[in-house]
Amino acid sequence: MKASYNWLKEFVDFKEMPEELAHILTMAGLEVELIEKAGNDIIFDIGVTPNRSDWLSMRGIAREISAILNLPMKDITASITNEIGEGPVVEIEDAALCPRYSSRIIKGVKPGPSPEWLSKKLESCGIRPTSNIVDITNYVLLEIGQPMHAFDLDKLAGKKIIVKQAGDANKFTTLDGEERKISKETLLIWDVEKPVAIAGVMGGGNTEVSDATLNILLESANFLPSSVRRTSRTLGLSSESSYRFERGVDKEAVILALDRAAELIVEFAGGEVTNITDKYPEPFEAREIVVPFKKINSLIGIDIEEDFIIKTLLSLGFVIERRGELLSIMPPSYREDAERDIDIIEEVARIYGYDKMPSTLPEMQMSSPTEHKLQELVKKLKISMVKSGFSEAINYSFLNPEIIDQLNLAQDDRRRELIYVRNPLRKEESAMRTIIIPALLNNVNTNIKRGEKTLRFFEISKVFLSAGKNLADEITQLGAVYLKDNATSLWQTKHEGFYDLKGVFESIFKDLKIKVTFSASQAEPYMHPAKSCAILIGDNKIGSIGTLHPAVADIFNLKGDITIAEIDDIEGLLDAASSKICFTSLPKFPSVERDIALVVNDDVTVSSVEKEIRGIGSDILEDVTLFDIYKGKPIAKDKKSLAFSIRYRSLEKTLTDNEVDEVHAVILKRLQDNLNAELRS
Amino acid sequence: MHNDLDVIKSKAGEEIASASGLKDIHDLKVKYLGKKGLITTQLKTLGALSREEKKEFGKVLNECKNHIQDLLNKQEAILKTSELDISLKTQNIDVTVPGSSVPFGHLHPVTLVFDEIISIFLSLGFTVEEGPEIEEDFYNFEALNFPKDHPARDMQDTFFICEDVVLRTHTSPVQVRVMEKNAPPLRVIAPGKVYRCDSDVSHIPMFHQLEGFMVDKNIRMTDLKGILELVVHRIFGPNTSIRLRPSFFPFTEPSVEIDISCVICKGSGCNVCQTTGWIEILGAGMINPRVYEKAGYDPDKYTGFAFGLGIERVAMLKYGINDVRLFPENDMRFLKQF
Ligand SMILES: [Zn+2]
Repeated sequence: MKASYNWLKEFVDFKEMPEELAHILTMAGLEVELIEKAGNDIIFDIGVTPNRSDWLSMRGIAREISAILNLPMKDITASITNEIGEGPVVEIEDAALCPRYSSRIIKGVKPGPSPEWLSKKLESCGIRPTSNIVDITNYVLLEIGQPMHAFDLDKLAGKKIIVKQAGDANKFTTLDGEERKISKETLLIWDVEKPVAIAGVMGGGNTEVSDATLNILLESANFLPSSVRRTSRTLGLSSESSYRFERGVDKEAVILALDRAAELIVEFAGGEVTNITDKYPEPFEAREIVVPFKKINSLIGIDIEEDFIIKTLLSLGFVIERRGELLSIMPPSYREDAERDIDIIEEVARIYGYDKMPSTLPEMQMSSPTEHKLQELVKKLKISMVKSGFSEAINYSFLNPEIIDQLNLAQDDRRRELIYVRNPLRKEESAMRTIIIPALLNNVNTNIKRGEKTLRFFEISKVFLSAGKNLADEITQLGAVYLKDNATSLWQTKHEGFYDLKGVFESIFKDLKIKVTFSASQAEPYMHPAKSCAILIGDNKIGSIGTLHPAVADIFNLKGDITIAEIDDIEGLLDAASSKICFTSLPKFPSVERDIALVVNDDVTVSSVEKEIRGIGSDILEDVTLFDIYKGKPIAKDKKSLAFSIRYRSLEKTLTDNEVDEVHAVILKRLQDNLNAELRS
Repeated sequence: MHNDLDVIKSKAGEEIASASGLKDIHDLKVKYLGKKGLITTQLKTLGALSREEKKEFGKVLNECKNHIQDLLNKQEAILKTSELDISLKTQNIDVTVPGSSVPFGHLHPVTLVFDEIISIFLSLGFTVEEGPEIEEDFYNFEALNFPKDHPARDMQDTFFICEDVVLRTHTSPVQVRVMEKNAPPLRVIAPGKVYRCDSDVSHIPMFHQLEGFMVDKNIRMTDLKGILELVVHRIFGPNTSIRLRPSFFPFTEPSVEIDISCVICKGSGCNVCQTTGWIEILGAGMINPRVYEKAGYDPDKYTGFAFGLGIERVAMLKYGINDVRLFPENDMRFLKQF
């Protein structure tokens, strides 16, 4: 809302300079967002909150200034003297949508340019002047806040106004020349034959005032806010009128505005004014609000004098009656936002000034702290990832629906069932994500373009799996991606990135005291089928680690050694992560270590060898650790050598060599029998 | 004989002191204390002496032997240390080569700010709650006193999933969800992602908020000011002042916008604060009785406050980040700085 400093001064004779006034307005809730010079005037751009439609006019803002500064207000007056003949015939069919419609006819007008002062005022407040009659309706809109419309009377069939819904009239051409589709419920202004305006939004081209206009019908009406808002939104058409009607316009200012406009038109465009027609089936009645004095101070937390309270409310236009400890308050017609005691308390506090309010701390009961377990676990995971070299990414929750088809997901995979945003900003952001990895791959891609060589990203965010009825199961997931670039790394490590990332997750789960196993399988269809594994707790898959599938890497324009990992549902780990620490006493007797080097077929996995070793079920077998993998000469081509260190210990005594040898021999035998292993010589 | 010993003793002292290597020490050991060493041969002469003489000369001889042994040990220790020093010096490595461990990664600044603010509220006895990001219109708007067809809804550009389901535009719906399930008193914070259908130089469509609210008997507006002042001081330092300006949110009454004195120019006026010296940082207010009514609380019995804090905004001011669009970019050059 643009407000002119000079114009405001016509209402209230304040001494404050523009900057000062702007500050005062801002601190009273009329936030001055911009101060601009316009000739010898200053224009304030004020952010008016949707509850205060009474501030959408010079008169309304001036009223506020007069209350804050405690200065008298020169209000607008208007009176029509020589009325000639009857007012126009007006019929309201939908009174619920049109609480008031008043109108006068002005005969013998001379359209032409407006006087310069008027054009300037319009322009400085952002409205382009056209010709006197239309300019005056706009002027009154700015001045009093009442939207007005002038019809060319001679184009109104039957010279009659009917206010009713569109019904079968499904098209209408507004005065901006556009033909608009309208719905049945749209409230229209009609003559006896046709619609002539969209009520409260815009007039029609068919009855527009032109240079040739001789007689006009002037409308000053009130329309139901929600109806105007619906119309304006469905048409995608917002005007100075609709903006005000949506927020609510003072029903009691309708006549003032009509007469003010009629008076100005006669003065600057000539003509004679008829009597008034005023259809107002249910006149405004103020609703009483009762506020205990005590409540004002107890809610705000300060002692405001009763005198101040009363003086403030009176200056804001409230009618007050004191009843002992209670205040009975009647809000003025332009304050329909004031509905209950709390609204009155706000008015008092606002004018008193929040800056005079002290700071206190609430008195509160001690209570036992409750931790948010998921948040705690997420925090722990984040710190572990960061300490492992991964940086945290936070991406939009949106997903490009085309991507989901390129991840090789099975047809019945739940992640294919996307929830769509109806009004996305971009088509690439039109679905809610069901998976985190694609966003991280994009992060890798952009960072490579900016010169990064090795990248480690993780993100912990929600994914949205459809739960029907457009709602989602929102699941907190972890995604991680690792681009390993040995060529530019100082400490060249020959192994694949897979093992680095697996190591990170092994450590993290160990830290969380969660026992996990890794099972070789293509854990996710977007992972390399031979270089990926599922992370299991017992038999339940809780996540996966794997080299990015080369075909998926291509889609994201990525090259190199890229490993990805996911934890499917962090909340699902809570039970496993909350297991208690249970101390085992330290062993009293020494351990014996024996190494065993085997040659096995290539397809024999380390975990299967370990399983066989542990499978002998000896109670002196304490631990098995892999310490070497070797392929190459002199080992046969399709074989490899694995070396394990096995630790033996008894809880009861010091083991003898014989006792250890016996078990060790059983192990070797078992490996030879079950895995075709040979002892490496 | 005593004289002979004195000569041997002083000769040994000189020779040991001038020994320059472990080899010399070894040779001297042989020369004096070895099987055919000078001291050992003296010992052999004892047999020819009388009992008295034997006792006296034996004692002197033993002292002499111990003395030489002692000198040898000391000199040997000195030489060992210096020989080790010399050999270690040849094993030098370049300590300026970077270490081989993986450098730590970085938390996103949004997480850093969240963690800081959440820990302040936890220490004040607040609990953390969460709500869904795909939210029903009822919780996001209706129950917070944003009626359908009301212009208040224009304050928040909304992403729609369907007519009645939206991407939450603020974390405030958590207020309603918590009140539905719990009786007062309440002290709650709700951190999370929120969405607005808006994207330009100063807006991103997804950002982060922290909702906080407190409901009890006798909660005053000055308490709201006090709590937020305390939080602002912890985040931006004790010299930051706050100011409350009247505003409007459907779910609070009175509603305020809270400004802090500009952290960039300290209030003297700059680009960031548009020369006002003040920066808007959060919206707050006393919870509107209409919200209590939806939750089934008695509005005559309970009062409370609520506030919503934009995390990116705090991070920008705290770290001097000049472009909000950097947050969702995940550019390592950006992340590395936190
Ligand atoms: Zn500044």
